[in-house]
Amino acid sequence: MSRQSFVIIGNGPAANQAAESLRSQGSEAKITMLSKDSFRGYLPHLLPDFISGSIGEESLYFRPHAYYKEKNIFLRLGQKAVGIDFSKRRIFLEHREVISFDGLIIATGGKPRIPEYYQLFEDLMLTLKTPQDAKLWISKLKSVDSILMLGGDLTSLSLTRALLKMGKTIQFIINEDSFWPIPYSEEIYKAVAQRLESKGVQVVHCNKIRRVTQIDENLIEVDTDTCSVRTGAIGAFFGLVPDVRFLVRSGLDIDRGILVDEFLKTRFEDVFAVGDCAQVYHPALRNYWVSIGYQNAATLGKIAASNLLGSDLEALVAPESILDVGGVKVNTSWWTEF
Amino acid sequence: MQEGLWNPGKTISQTQNWKSGVSYSCDPADFSYMKVNVPCQDACPALTNIPSYIRALYEEKFATSYEINRMVNLLPGTLGRICSRPCELKCRHGEAGLGEPVNICHIKKAASDLRGLGHSYMTPRFAPVGKTVAIVGSGPAGLAAAHDLAMMGFDVTILEAFEEPGGMLRYGIPEFRLPRIILSEEIANILRLGISIKTGVRVGVDLTLESIMSNYDATLIAAGCYEPMELGIPGEDLLGVYTGLNFVMDVAKGLDVRIGKKVMVIGAGFTAFDCSRLALRLGAEDVTLCIRGLEEDLRVTTDEIVEAKREGIRIQSLLLSKGVYGGGHVKGVEFFRTRPVERSSESRRAVEPIFGSEFVLEADSVILAIGQAPQRIPGPGKQNDRGVIIADFGNFRSTATNLYLAGDYLTGPSTVIESISSGRRAAGKIAEDLLGKKLKEWVVRIKDAKLTDRQRSWDLIPRVEIPTVLPVEDRFQSKGFVEVETGYLPEQAHDESKRCYLCYLHYEIDVNKCIYCRYCIDNAPRDCIKLVNDIFTDETGAVSGYLETTQWTEVSAVVIDNSQCVRCGECVRVCPVDCISVSRMDLVERFLIEETEA
Repeated sequence: MSRQSFVIIGNGPAANQAAESLRSQGSEAKITMLSKDSFRGYLPHLLPDFISGSIGEESLYFRPHAYYKEKNIFLRLGQKAVGIDFSKRRIFLEHREVISFDGLIIATGGKPRIPEYYQLFEDLMLTLKTPQDAKLWISKLKSVDSILMLGGDLTSLSLTRALLKMGKTIQFIINEDSFWPIPYSEEIYKAVAQRLESKGVQVVHCNKIRRVTQIDENLIEVDTDTCSVRTGAIGAFFGLVPDVRFLVRSGLDIDRGILVDEFLKTRFEDVFAVGDCAQVYHPALRNYWVSIGYQNAATLGKIAASNLLGSDLEALVAPESILDVGGVKVNTSWWTEF
Repeated sequence: MQEGLWNPGKTISQTQNWKSGVSYSCDPADFSYMKVNVPCQDACPALTNIPSYIRALYEEKFATSYEINRMVNLLPGTLGRICSRPCELKCRHGEAGLGEPVNICHIKKAASDLRGLGHSYMTPRFAPVGKTVAIVGSGPAGLAAAHDLAMMGFDVTILEAFEEPGGMLRYGIPEFRLPRIILSEEIANILRLGISIKTGVRVGVDLTLESIMSNYDATLIAAGCYEPMELGIPGEDLLGVYTGLNFVMDVAKGLDVRIGKKVMVIGAGFTAFDCSRLALRLGAEDVTLCIRGLEEDLRVTTDEIVEAKREGIRIQSLLLSKGVYGGGHVKGVEFFRTRPVERSSESRRAVEPIFGSEFVLEADSVILAIGQAPQRIPGPGKQNDRGVIIADFGNFRSTATNLYLAGDYLTGPSTVIESISSGRRAAGKIAEDLLGKKLKEWVVRIKDAKLTDRQRSWDLIPRVEIPTVLPVEDRFQSKGFVEVETGYLPEQAHDESKRCYLCYLHYEIDVNKCIYCRYCIDNAPRDCIKLVNDIFTDETGAVSGYLETTQWTEVSAVVIDNSQCVRCGECVRVCPVDCISVSRMDLVERFLIEETEA
């Protein structure tokens, strides 16, 4: 019998933990990690510090190349999966290579969410999810001093702190679309606005952006329903959505993320989904949930690896942890709404 | 491809005009070839020749492009706006690794918009056959049947219950998706074939079906589905609960429709989306669309979903309503969460409620847009348990003599393009039954072709999305009647038309001339030219697969797999012995009676 082949799509905390757990639990299978990114696994919450220059690039990455060699894990960077044939257990890569698998863990993570309304202006907005995005910010910040932040996710708030430290002028539009992972409430809105203003951020109170016009390379005019503002760059921060569009119509159940049961199993045998791309129903919440945060992702990665090797571990909803939303403490470890 | 398009048992007929290099084939193998290799046309219920009309538009022959459409789908300007676009799901440009499907539908709209005011319609007419047909309903199925029957020489009368013709097109689709001026022009073009229409006549109320049947040689009921379905849950009769169809129709009729600020729409079809977007235009501030299944299974187009969300509509999936609650006036809906369950690969995913997941969403108006059914028309023949006359889906005949059904009345709710196809096929069957002979048939037209000017780089042109009214708030001006999709500029339409692979072109290697130099294989952009040891065929004789080999000693032929070919023409250009030929294969409809006037 030929050696088993396990494939993990993704290179974030969930994917890396899954790979490590497969090895540490004694699996001798061939383990291949496919990452569409050309860089190793990184810690996204450190990106604002990297932008401000507080830390160097190497600090972003949580595993050296040598680790993968030592564990006999084939880390294939810059290799994007574009489709999966589950009946034949084959993965199609963008460069037209086809990879077979006996077991599969999908851990593609999330990507920046831009609500449909704002997609009209997407080309003029910067996001922050990867080291590559961070380098774009670093490059842009060399020539602009004012930044308009749209949205109110955790990344936007920590980037704001970093930008203020750099002496940049920050304007912030917050509205009902803004908050993530917590649902909007007037209380949160007021508390965050007040906190931002106390730090020297100009909060722009409006409901809608009507028009975004690029005046020149470093000047953008934004017309809202209440006023017009001028800025050097716009950042869009509406949270993350599971990066699973390439799996639509593959046969998997794709809602916001990949629907899995409490054992992280998908509809197909020996195929699991974990981390920020998996969506699980939980009776206590009476809702589906998607985990957030490094620790949760790693925990789910470990459970999926164990279950792929024959265990029956249940993925319990992550315990609430304290998140700092612009100085307002919020208890959550998951998100359920868009 | 529709069943019955060709008859496997019949003798293959192939006629050829050697002088022009054109031949017509009824060979089942050729139909099978078309099904696989021109998947967009096969996916269109009306079998619109999509590559042909896209190519005509590329050549700036807008009127020709429009007419290629109109020959089979009759309402190109209308369909270019509201078609459900099954073709685009099958477009080969959308296959994994090839990019996005061609924007087939909006090219149709461009052909209609850009064809110019002096456009003349080219409808063939045939000698009167001395037979009369009554058609109940002037929606897409009724109009399509009337068009074909009138063209074939029948004396057609349409009986329409509403004040104006169009059925669901006029009363079930909002103006912001389908401007009435477009619809009216295309309906007038059908009616000008000498069709009589009596509006405001409710068959079964003002006039009995039996009396109609006694006055006409055949009667076709194409009365659509106007009976809103109910969820069968408590609270549906509360104030503030509307049915989707009535809501849309009341707005279309210009009635004073009031809606709350926080609106919930339950349903997953075009009507549900129309209700949601209409609610915004009537002043709702918060609109949520609740669907039982997954967003990816919605039968509406991606554009529709994106535009609805862009306007501010929130879609909540995996919800099953348990009850509407409120005291006199609606206050909200209690839902179960649902989970998908097993399904066969082709059918839509089924869902089941998760018991214990109940929760409430608040709303001050609820619109139930979960579908509709045919209304009962008293009459002869076999009926279902609701007393609605039924008929055979294949031949459209009811059990009563010369009484036929078509469109949604026969099948239940479907799409406009399916209704048009149904109406046309029903017309063909009625004509055949009344005259005892077949008047039209589908054939594969094959003719020599040259290498086109298509360039490989055109495959990399990004899909040109249709421009829309922006900022979004401007859509809500003029009582919300503003057409949201403004349409392509000529250069945008031209760019988008370049993206079509022109799958009607057929590339073939003459193995007797091939010297096996492999130049074509080395220059092919994908795995479309194959070294094969054997070729497999299906029951019709069409190629169904290849036994490939890498051993030269086993190679019996070099073949072009047209299902993989992107028609870039590189193989033809590099072939040193000119052994690759190009032909053009069109699935077209041919009339078997003599044309009398142009």
